[in-house]
This record gives sequence, structure tokens and C-alpha cells, in this order.
Amino acid sequence: MGTYRLRQSPFGAPPARRLLCALAVIGVSALAACGSGSGATSGGSKSIQIWEGWTGAEAKAFAHLVAEYQATHPGVKVSSLFVNNDYTLQKVQTAVAGGNPPDIAYLYGSWAPNVAKLSGVVTLTNVVKRPSVNWNDFWVGERDVATVNGRVIGVPALVDNLAVVYNKALFAKAHLPLPGPNWTWPQFVADARKLTNPAIKQFGTAYVTPGSEDTVWHWEALLWAAGGQILNSSNTKAAFDSRAGLASLNTLRTMAVTDHSMYLDPTDSAYANLFNSGKIGMLVTGPWDLSGFPNVHYGVQIMPSFPGTNGGHQTISGPDNWVVFNNGASRVKTAEDFILWLTAPAQVKYFSLKTGDLPIRQSVGTTGFNAQMDAALPDVSTFTTNLGNVRQARPQIATYPQISQAIGTMVVSVLLGKSQPGPALAAAAAKVNQILAGSG
Amino acid sequence: MTASVALRRSGRQGLSNPRGRRGRVESLTGWAFVTPATVIIGLFGAAPIIWSLVLSFTNDNGLTSGSAFIGVRNYKALAHDPVVSQAIEHTVVYTALFVPGTMLVGLFLAVAMNRKIRFMWFYRTAAYATMAISTISEALVFIWLFDPSFGIVNYIFSLLHIPQQAFLNSPGEALYVIVVMTIWGWSGFAVVIYLAALQGIPQDLVEAAAIDGAGRWETFRRITLPLLSPASLFLAVWLTINALQLFDEVYLSTRGGPLGATTVLVYYLFEQAFQTNFNFGYASAIAYLLFIVILVVTAIQFRVGRRFTYYRS
Repeated sequence: MGTYRLRQSPFGAPPARRLLCALAVIGVSALAACGSGSGATSGGSKSIQIWEGWTGAEAKAFAHLVAEYQATHPGVKVSSLFVNNDYTLQKVQTAVAGGNPPDIAYLYGSWAPNVAKLSGVVTLTNVVKRPSVNWNDFWVGERDVATVNGRVIGVPALVDNLAVVYNKALFAKAHLPLPGPNWTWPQFVADARKLTNPAIKQFGTAYVTPGSEDTVWHWEALLWAAGGQILNSSNTKAAFDSRAGLASLNTLRTMAVTDHSMYLDPTDSAYANLFNSGKIGMLVTGPWDLSGFPNVHYGVQIMPSFPGTNGGHQTISGPDNWVVFNNGASRVKTAEDFILWLTAPAQVKYFSLKTGDLPIRQSVGTTGFNAQMDAALPDVSTFTTNLGNVRQARPQIATYPQISQAIGTMVVSVLLGKSQPGPALAAAAAKVNQILAGSG
Repeated sequence: MTASVALRRSGRQGLSNPRGRRGRVESLTGWAFVTPATVIIGLFGAAPIIWSLVLSFTNDNGLTSGSAFIGVRNYKALAHDPVVSQAIEHTVVYTALFVPGTMLVGLFLAVAMNRKIRFMWFYRTAAYATMAISTISEALVFIWLFDPSFGIVNYIFSLLHIPQQAFLNSPGEALYVIVVMTIWGWSGFAVVIYLAALQGIPQDLVEAAAIDGAGRWETFRRITLPLLSPASLFLAVWLTINALQLFDEVYLSTRGGPLGATTVLVYYLFEQAFQTNFNFGYASAIAYLLFIVILVVTAIQFRVGRRFTYYRS
């Protein structure tokens, strides 16, 4: 701790430590150089490098698939390098600037518009049109995020979505019927109220309030369900300052401010532990959290709808992409072949069964497959079928991170009771319009 | 450490500086020793610093190849960016509380530990342990301590009939929680520095004061504190530089929120470069603004500090 932390910038670091850092960097880059060097020479152009951030079961399953590919494709060498997913874009940017990008990188879908600007990103539009790929087998939410202005820049790597995970025991204790597939947001609010008990510090639901994209996409699902849109169809103006925007924000505000039935989590980390400790009745979250709830009997239900709107039980999905970088025609070909194999139905099925991750292809999610998935992770198949409720993607524009920030501030200020939904919507819309105008 | 080396240099200038052949060999040997380090520091320390200065005059976004030179436009934008002035305000408030806070806590603990009692090794280890704990663990612990609903701090408040606080959920309180968190984290460092300085205080001076009839407080104020002044100056400079570069605790606990209440300069820089805009040019300009602020503040500290600092020859 203390002096030896991230906070140190080169300006503040004493020379001795800077030297140590430098030596460490040299050591690492020497290793990296060895790695890429041997990769490039052994077997010539048939060697590719892939940057991925899998850990645990995912890492094991991925390593197995890579080994299988190498065994069935003699002469091809796929070397994978672990990179924390949160930092892959930074690292890829640096590698692109240095003229030595990986052949394939796992990149968050929310980065897609910015990734499309990177030099060296291979356009896959014609590749995915091949009949053998069966591109339409990928969920529409995935395809949307892999496509920027009509140009396909990636192949789906992982998909998730938001649904409601609820604690069955707490519902029973409150004598409440379990949520059904036709439920509505007013029902959710009423349930949350009845599940709240300040005396034993029990909350009906929770919401993440760091103001980041995690705050924002939860609200966007509500906005869509209420029949609203984030931007207009040409992505030139904010469209969320609407009746739907108001309905969705008011719903959240009722729970956070009026009923105090919502635990607000600014750290984006506490809510899962609390749910697992039986302190929270319902959570809007994704399949990744399920394995963190071994101590409670939970159920999963699709998102509620807003009565009187045409939004239905829409949800939002956050797919990530495999992106191919240009290191010469033959390496691009090797990389494309590998990524298409990796995302073919057989491999998708294997990966999902081993990891509990949702299958990225529609055809894989058969009844038998869903039962197998549920055996390992109860009710995860609800998330799989819920992918059918993903009807749209977030705006695929480079300024989205800035727009997200403006919306995040709006949501947090309403939930903390610092502003009313109406003025907050208007202020955020004005800010977003300014951002959109600035970007031309 | 840099500071104390620099301050002592004047005392070493009297050492013989051998000339002639032997001198040349020695100086060559010296160069042989420092050249690898110089090259490495130049490559990985100085070059990025210079490069970021160049970047600060461009609109580089790290994505597209090629960026345009836009002169001082980034620096002009800084002056009109409301978030920058807010970030400066947060940084200054944080520094103004963190630096004296850490020094006082460190001094108090060091004085308390500068005696011969049983299990002293344990207390000293415990105090220094805050340095050995990683920031992420520290942040996680404090997140739970200060959790509005489940935290022990609000529990204690309820026992004392103090109203419940929102802490990290409150734009008015979050920064102060981070101040407390970091004072805890850094106090071990201040303890070590002060403890070392306390043990360097000659006992004959303390005894002489006692013979002259000085009480404990008088001795502490007239003898101990002045003799600790070099350590205090070092701590003030070192802690200030680190405070102005606050980042990890913010990143790990509040992400600059709620509603930007804990967005300090380095966090804003990070956001500009890697989170929202990929605006490397603008982020570099913020980095240089911070660099200049640190340079000026440190210079003032040394200048003012010299007046209050007492060095024994």
C-alpha cells in the first residue's frame, strides 16, 4: 500500500523505483518479444496471437477449445495472452500505435464505435455473409453490436442480458406470489415495497449508482420497455426526454426516494453479497451474477412490462466481440478461420455447458440444452430465452460513452433525490444534444 | 527519500574530489554504473513525459492514426471546463485535509510508540501494516465500514443517537470518507518516518531541558517538534505530491461520484483518456496542468519549510 501504488505517476516516483519499474517493463517486453518472435517464425504465417480475458472455468474451456483446434488443424498455432478485459482497448490502442497489434482481441461491445476507428481493424462484412457462417443464427442484439454503420467489425464472443433474479424464501415470508412472465413494473414496485423491512435491514430491490454504464443500461431497459428511445432514428438528437423517459425514471424514483425499498450501491459491488445474504428481495441483473448466489434459493423472471405501452418485456443486452486485426493477409485468414470455428454451434455449445455463459447462437438453445444448463446453474435458461426480448441495441456511435455519462448523472441525481425526473430528463437531453452537435 | 538526499548534499561537498588518472578511471566506473539506469529511465521515464507534452498540443485520440497539432487549444479548453475547476477544488480540499491529517495521526502514533513497553514490536507492526495492505482490500473494507445501511460506522452512530449518514451515497460526504480512508492507509508511512526521526533525537538535549525545569509538553514543543521538522517537511512534500495524484481510492470506491463529487484531477484525466472521450491530447494537457501545480506547490513548501526547518549539523 502507500507509496507503492497505482497513484504514483512517473513525476512522483523516486528514481530507484522508476528503475525497478523500467526493469520490470523491459523484462516483460523481452518476454513478449520472445513470445511474438517465436510465434511469427514457427510455422510462418500460420501462427496467430489472441488477446482474451477469460478466467476460471471460462479460461479452462477456452484453452481446451484452442488445443482442440490446434490438434485438428496441424500447422496452426494459436497463442493466447491473458489481458484484463477492462483494459484491452487501452492495450490494443498502444499495440496498434506500435504497429504490432494482436491478430484477435476480445473487446467490449460498448467500445465498438471507437474500435471501428482503429486502424488495422479487419472488416468482416463479407466474411460473415458466407453461408457456412449462418450470421442470422446470432441474436439480433449481438449482430447490431458487431456492426458499426453497416460495417461488421467483429464476431460475437459473449452475450448476456438483464432479467429479474428474486429470492424465493423472502417472497414466501412476505406471502407474495412469485413473479410471473406477464408481470408489470407497478407490480415490481409493490412487491419491492412489501419485501422491504427496515427493522431487519431488508430491501425490496437494489440499483447500482456509480453513474457508469452499469447505472445507465439498467435504466435503458426500462426506457425501452416503456416504449421510449435513447436517440432519434438518425442518432442526431436525444429522444429520451419523453413520456416513456418520465415513466421509467418515476418508477425508479418511487422505489428509491418515496418507498426506500431500493438499496443504492455506489460501489457496484456490495449488492451481490447482500442478495446472497438474503437482504435483498429482487435484483435486476445478468447471468454472470448467478454463480455468486449459492446461499439463497433464487428464481429468474423476465423483465416486467409497462402497462399501456407497446414496449413489452424488452430487455437490454451487452454482447462483446472478437475483433480481427490486420497483420498481413495470411495471418488475417488464419485468424478469421479460427474465430469462425470458435463461434460455430458445436464450440458454442461446449463453451456454454462448461461455463454457464449464454449460448451466442439461437440454434444452440434447444430444450434439452437448456435443461442441461439449468442443472448446472438453476434457472439460467430464463436468461437464454430472454435474449428473444432484446429488440434493439444502444446507439452505435463513437460519442456514446459521453452520452452514457450524461444519462448516468441524470439517473443518479434522481435516485439520490437531488433532482426531479422532469427537470433531470430535460437537462440530460440538452447535454446529450450538445454532445451530438459537437461531434458533427 | 529524494528530498533528504538533496538536502544533505551540501554536507558532502567537502569530500576530496581526486583528480588525475585514478580520478578518470573512477569517473568512468561511475558512468558505467549509472549509464544503464540513465538509459532505462530516459526511455521509460523521461521519454513518455516529453511525449505527453507533445500530445498535449494535439487532438490525438489514440484510435485513429495521425493527429493534428492544435497549439494551446487543449490548455484554453481547460480554463473553460467546469469539471476541471470542480476537480481542482476537490483535489485541493482533499489535499488540505489529507496531508495535515496524516501527519497528525502519524505523529501521535509515533510519539505513543516511542517508548519501551511490552509488545511494542506488535504495535509498530500493526501501525505499519496499513502500508502493506493493498489499496483494493483497504477500499473494500472501507466501503463496508461506511455502508449507509449495513456499515459499522452508521451502527455506532445509531448507538450514539447521531443521525444516520449516506456517506458514499452523498455528494456532500463522499470526499470526506475518502480522506478518512487514505489517512488510515498512509498513517503507517508517517509513523515510520516520525519514529525514525524521534529515535534520532539526542537524549542529552531532552535531559538538559528537564534539568532546566521544562515539563513534558514544553520539552515536546521546544525540543522534539523542532528536531522533527526535517521529517515533517519531507512528509508534507511527499504526502502533498501523492495527495494531488489521488486516484486508486476514488476509482475503487466511488468512480468519481456520486454526481462527480469525488472527481479529482487524475480521475478526470483517466476518464478523458480512457473512459468517455479517448481524448489523449486533452488528458495530457490535464496531466501537465497537474505537473505544474505540483511543481509550484512543492517549491513553495520547500521555500516556506526552510524557514521552519532545523537541521543539526
